[in-house]
Amino acid sequence: MRETTASGAPLHPPPPVDSVHGHSASSLVDLPSLPPADDSTLDLFRYTPIPTILLRIVELDALPVICQVSESLEAVSGACRREQLLGRTVDAFFDDNVNLPSVASAHNAIRVALDSKRPFQLEVVLADGRTAWSIRAVPIGRHGSPQYIQMELQNTTEERHRQLQLEERLYANETYRMLVETVKDYAIFMLDPKGLVATWNAGAQVFKGYTKDEIIGKHFSNFYGDEDRANDKPGRELRDALRDGRCEDEGWRYRKDGSRFWANVVITPVYREGTLLGFSKVTRDLSERKAAESQLIDAYEEASKLKSEFLANMSHEIRTPMHGMLSALTLLLDTRLNPEQLELARVIEESGEVLLQVINDILDYSKLATGSFSISHDIISVAEIIQSVFRAHQKVCKSGLTLETNLDPHLPQAAEGDSLRYRQIMQNFMSNAMKFTESGYVRVNATLKEEDDEFYTILTEVVDTGIGLPAGAASSLFTPFTQFEMNSTKRYKGTGLGLSICKSLAELMGGNIGYHPNPEGHGSTFWFTARLKKVNQLRIADALQEKLESLSAPSVTASPFEDIKLAATNTRILLAEDNLINQKVMLKMLAGLGFANIDRAIDGREAVTLATKHPPPYDAILMDINMPMLDGVAATREIRSLGVHTPIIAMTANALKGQAESYIAKGMTAYVAKPVDRKLLIKVLLKCLRGKTESPS
Amino acid sequence: MAIPGASDKLDAATFEQILEMDEDEEEREFSKSIVYDFFGQAESTFDKMDSSVKDLKTLSELGHFLKGSSATLGLTKVKDSCEKIQHYGQKKDETGTKDITEEEGLEKLKTTIEQAKTEFHDVEKVLKKFYNDEA
Repeated sequence: MRETTASGAPLHPPPPVDSVHGHSASSLVDLPSLPPADDSTLDLFRYTPIPTILLRIVELDALPVICQVSESLEAVSGACRREQLLGRTVDAFFDDNVNLPSVASAHNAIRVALDSKRPFQLEVVLADGRTAWSIRAVPIGRHGSPQYIQMELQNTTEERHRQLQLEERLYANETYRMLVETVKDYAIFMLDPKGLVATWNAGAQVFKGYTKDEIIGKHFSNFYGDEDRANDKPGRELRDALRDGRCEDEGWRYRKDGSRFWANVVITPVYREGTLLGFSKVTRDLSERKAAESQLIDAYEEASKLKSEFLANMSHEIRTPMHGMLSALTLLLDTRLNPEQLELARVIEESGEVLLQVINDILDYSKLATGSFSISHDIISVAEIIQSVFRAHQKVCKSGLTLETNLDPHLPQAAEGDSLRYRQIMQNFMSNAMKFTESGYVRVNATLKEEDDEFYTILTEVVDTGIGLPAGAASSLFTPFTQFEMNSTKRYKGTGLGLSICKSLAELMGGNIGYHPNPEGHGSTFWFTARLKKVNQLRIADALQEKLESLSAPSVTASPFEDIKLAATNTRILLAEDNLINQKVMLKMLAGLGFANIDRAIDGREAVTLATKHPPPYDAILMDINMPMLDGVAATREIRSLGVHTPIIAMTANALKGQAESYIAKGMTAYVAKPVDRKLLIKVLLKCLRGKTESPS
Repeated sequence: MAIPGASDKLDAATFEQILEMDEDEEEREFSKSIVYDFFGQAESTFDKMDSSVKDLKTLSELGHFLKGSSATLGLTKVKDSCEKIQHYGQKKDETGTKDITEEEGLEKLKTTIEQAKTEFHDVEKVLKKFYNDEA
């Protein structure tokens, strides 16, 4: 029979069974000198509930013999009767009983107890690995020579089982604790229910730089940035974790030294029997992943920029010969062509124009994509832009289709913006709506959505009753090239870039763009917003004044030509122009309109001198922009600063619309493009001189 | 009033506006004087350009100057080239939007000035023919 000895160390003496003789020089329990047959002694052994054998030592080297056996021993020994054991050695009892410890272990206990003269307890586990016994041998004798051995035998299986379970649990706990404490790649720690740090591991120390002593008891918001703290993000995360059972976040976390790292954080509430113990917090450092991500993004952006630059270069290169082709074609169309040739030439013309549009779109798009596109800040009137686009479409409107505009009366008369680009978006929306709507209406709504001290936010919508969009298409509407790919087989349908360009333009104007179905049934609504800066009130007042004047002074004669001749009488005009040829032509033209008194200035300096005489001698000044000495803009500034309000008409060959409007913003009254068109000049002069006839001051 | 052979060199509407200023359609005193003034102005401007080949700023100003009068007469091609001269002189590309280097500017100016001259002489011939002066 094999068995293991769990514990072989001699134990301290247990309290003596008989406490009469408490004193003892050695640890050997002294036996009172009572006759062995004393009843009480016999009873003591016989009835002890602990299975006990009393052995008497007969000879020093021989095995002790059994002189007493407790009744309780019979319960464990099974078949063995007390009477059969008396006078025999322990072998008689232990042998042949697989349920009991081996004879050897009993001998061993006796020997150690005798040798050490101290009580000795032996833990024995049987071969089944489960049944456990405790054998306790107590040497009893006088004057240091043992005469008896009291042997107690107890089944400790249950106890041992409990002990093992406890140990196992302790061991598991310890393992987990070590695991958590030594992990360096994750910061794992506990927070108490208020968010104070309760535990700390190596990973947390590595990530956050705090030692255990420094951080325990501090609030975990120490790891967050100022902004997050101001927004009570830490508190919100705890509340979210309580509500959802878990809260995950990715963001910057700060170390003790103030540096930061990109972290993934999971907070989980921890409960025991329904009570919140606190929160577990696991943090991972994702800095490397974040760096890799931003590298990827950089690489992507670089590639995309190269692509856009390539597109820009290509479209520029294509545009030049395209212009040549189209001009040649225009000439060709002017020659005598037979109907068939004319038809073919028209096809070329039409395709050429579409192609040019495509190229222009790509050029715009690639400029927008590379960020080399800027928006100008001129004085614009949204209502006027909308009406002008609207009028253009009215002319080509299909029958069965109504065009409507709803302009908010609160729309500003003037605001800073880019009329060309505003128009471009409007144009795109309108032509799309017209293209896809056979009957019903196309309606333009423009409203002042928001106004603060500095900006107007204007919402412009184009609503149609056309075919609308299939569900799901809306999301890719503003993505570049989507339509391009879908419709590559359909010509004349556009590039698919239009809306994505509009999106970028709207964003450049500080606004947004979007689509939703027509709320009144089938059809589409395309909308965009633009944030336009307010302009100085005085200028708006001027613009309004002008408008009122033009309304209140209807023309008295039939033609503008007659009007101007009338207006020209008794007026004096200054022409500031450095180029003598232009001067000569302008003089001739003005003379032809009935202006008899015209002074000339050869540069801006002379213009200022002449215009600011007292009293101001002129009814109107025609001012070239680029002049030596002092240019037209600077001259105007000087004239205005000297308190002279004579209308000044800018003449410029840089006749981009936005640019011309910026001259007005700089104090000029009106502009005409060079080469000066006579009809336009008449119109502008009439406008400027009307004020004079109204108020002769 | 059609001017033979001028279609691509001349903006008809602009030039006709000048012609309309003539009191006598046979004499065409006014327009002729303007046109011949322009010839003189153009020649002297080109001379000045030739003598300031390295001076970007002056070239730009001269380009602008001649652009003004050629625009007034509707001499489209000359005007376009002058505008380019103006931009190159400011170290910008031909549309005036992107920056170019001084070397590029000078290089481009050289060819563009020559082009402007050729275009001027082309339209000069046409106009002289129009005013029956083929000498």
